[in-house]
Amino acid sequence: MKDVDGPEHSPSYPYRYAEQYSPPEPARVSDVAITTFEHVYEVDPRLMQRWVLQQTFPNWDSLRIMASRQDHLDWMHRHFANTVVNGSVLLAEVEAEDEANPPSTAAPQQEAPR
Amino acid sequence: MTIAPERLSVQRVADVVSALRSVLRDDQILTSKPDRYNRARVPAPFPVHRWAERVPDLAVLPESTEDVAAVVRLANDLRVPVVPRDGGTGLTDGAVPLRGGIVVDVKRMNKIHELDLDNRTVTVGTGISMLKLNEQLARHGLFYPDDPASYPCSLVGGRIGTSGWSLIGSRYGHTRDLVLSFDHVLPTGEIMHVGDGIGRKITKSSSGYQLKHLFMGHQGTLGIATRATLKLFPKPEAELSPFWAFDNYDDAYACVGALARAGVATFAGAVLFDEYKVAYLRRDDEAYIPQPGDVRALVCAAMYGYEDEVRPAGKRLFRIAKEHRARYLGDEISEGDWAARHDRYATPLHGRTKAGQVVPMSWHCEDAAINYTNLPAVTREWHAIVADLRRKTDVFDDWGMFAYTNSVTGADYLTEIDVGIWEQHLDDAAWELWVKAKRDLAAVSLRYDGSISACHGSCREGEVDLVPEELGRGFQVMLDLKRTLDPNNIMNPGKYLLDRAYAENGGDR
Repeated sequence: MKDVDGPEHSPSYPYRYAEQYSPPEPARVSDVAITTFEHVYEVDPRLMQRWVLQQTFPNWDSLRIMASRQDHLDWMHRHFANTVVNGSVLLAEVEAEDEANPPSTAAPQQEAPR
Repeated sequence: MTIAPERLSVQRVADVVSALRSVLRDDQILTSKPDRYNRARVPAPFPVHRWAERVPDLAVLPESTEDVAAVVRLANDLRVPVVPRDGGTGLTDGAVPLRGGIVVDVKRMNKIHELDLDNRTVTVGTGISMLKLNEQLARHGLFYPDDPASYPCSLVGGRIGTSGWSLIGSRYGHTRDLVLSFDHVLPTGEIMHVGDGIGRKITKSSSGYQLKHLFMGHQGTLGIATRATLKLFPKPEAELSPFWAFDNYDDAYACVGALARAGVATFAGAVLFDEYKVAYLRRDDEAYIPQPGDVRALVCAAMYGYEDEVRPAGKRLFRIAKEHRARYLGDEISEGDWAARHDRYATPLHGRTKAGQVVPMSWHCEDAAINYTNLPAVTREWHAIVADLRRKTDVFDDWGMFAYTNSVTGADYLTEIDVGIWEQHLDDAAWELWVKAKRDLAAVSLRYDGSISACHGSCREGEVDLVPEELGRGFQVMLDLKRTLDPNNIMNPGKYLLDRAYAENGGDR
């Protein structure tokens, strides 16, 4: 099989225990959370020392959980509608229209005074 | 209020099983401990050491309306309690047996009986989930838009028994609007068809009393819905779900009101997240952990329809948000968070002690229907009640509040406070604290001219004590109806204070 995406995406990539249990160096993102892989957040380990202890996950499992979460959300979108309209596109159109036609002269959007 | 369980004796259970064998096959009658305990489980937290009080004596798996009617007739003859159970996702214990007896689990009644493409209706067994139904309907470009936060696991029959609330109800209506008619087994075992008039597919009738609403939202105390005809819509072509951030609650509150009052036809709902909810999300939700500290309140809106409707209407909502100093949170959060709202029951939960340590917690959601103008005051008072609980014990954690538009005009909102409860530490003393808090939360709702529940029902300990106050003379009508329709109090006894119907008449209970 041609290894076009790098070894981590190849089904023939061997499982190396030490690699799987060496996640990227954590970076603090808030008072209570750290991050390792991109978009993978964890509770600060100092807050999981008494009642709930943190479990050690192999890297593939952390990434699988993140990916399956995204799969689930994508499935929900398809289930409820055929397409998703991106708000950023509408916002860009609103901003462009406001720039060309400032709100003071644009058609009023606000409701009548109550 | 603690209801002492009244269990059937071993011999009595054997007699009931023997009688049931005359109307059901053996594989439809479940008596093992796992079968019974699995059907005592609901999401709302309850003291672990008291779960045995809520276990049925046996469960049955009917496959037709006639099966259900035969079981209920037999139970009525033998004076054995019957508790209907659908998805078991309700938050007010409707499916919990308080007196043992027979749980009627409708999950095998999950067939699609008729799809009428011309009249845009579908007739289903009430044991089907909306998710599975919509998978089939999508092949025809159709959609049944009843969308609770338990969407993947709640069932049509439970939605009828609860008179459920839908996330996109401002566009399509709630369960009461979407269910046209249904077959219903009365507590005596008689079968009745109820809807607008007698027709199965009529959307509006003025003939006779409007009985459909009476047999929805009764939490299983007036019988069991077995087959329902539902209203269908085209599957939406497009979805838009912008989330906006605000640096203060007041702007967010003003914005959500303006969005709801805009009168946009594709508007399916808007949600206001208060400061406590944002603080909760910021500690545990990957979408919000990286948000800057000046994000203190959120608003989201959802729209469904054809793309050429949703795009211009969406721009109108973006302008309104901009006028209220909103900051768009971006496509990834907006689209991801909205998609996750259809399936909140899959969320793993934990809370914090006051010292900040993570503890396993279950989710309790207390709801009410509150007018827009009263939201800020109710929000303040509800948080004060939960803060008082948390000062006393680490068993409770305030997870913040939502307010969802209850209908398209924005008159009132499904108002919810999410409370984490450390169930393993929920001893009798903590439970009493919680029941009192529920009563206090309900009292605030009534003081502000709201309703105790917009969504879940109000028959759990605490809030149920105030139902007579909310309904006034109407509560006596409830008692009269219950006594008339269920003369032996076999249908889900112990709920909604309906035992009073029998005590006042010198009945058995």
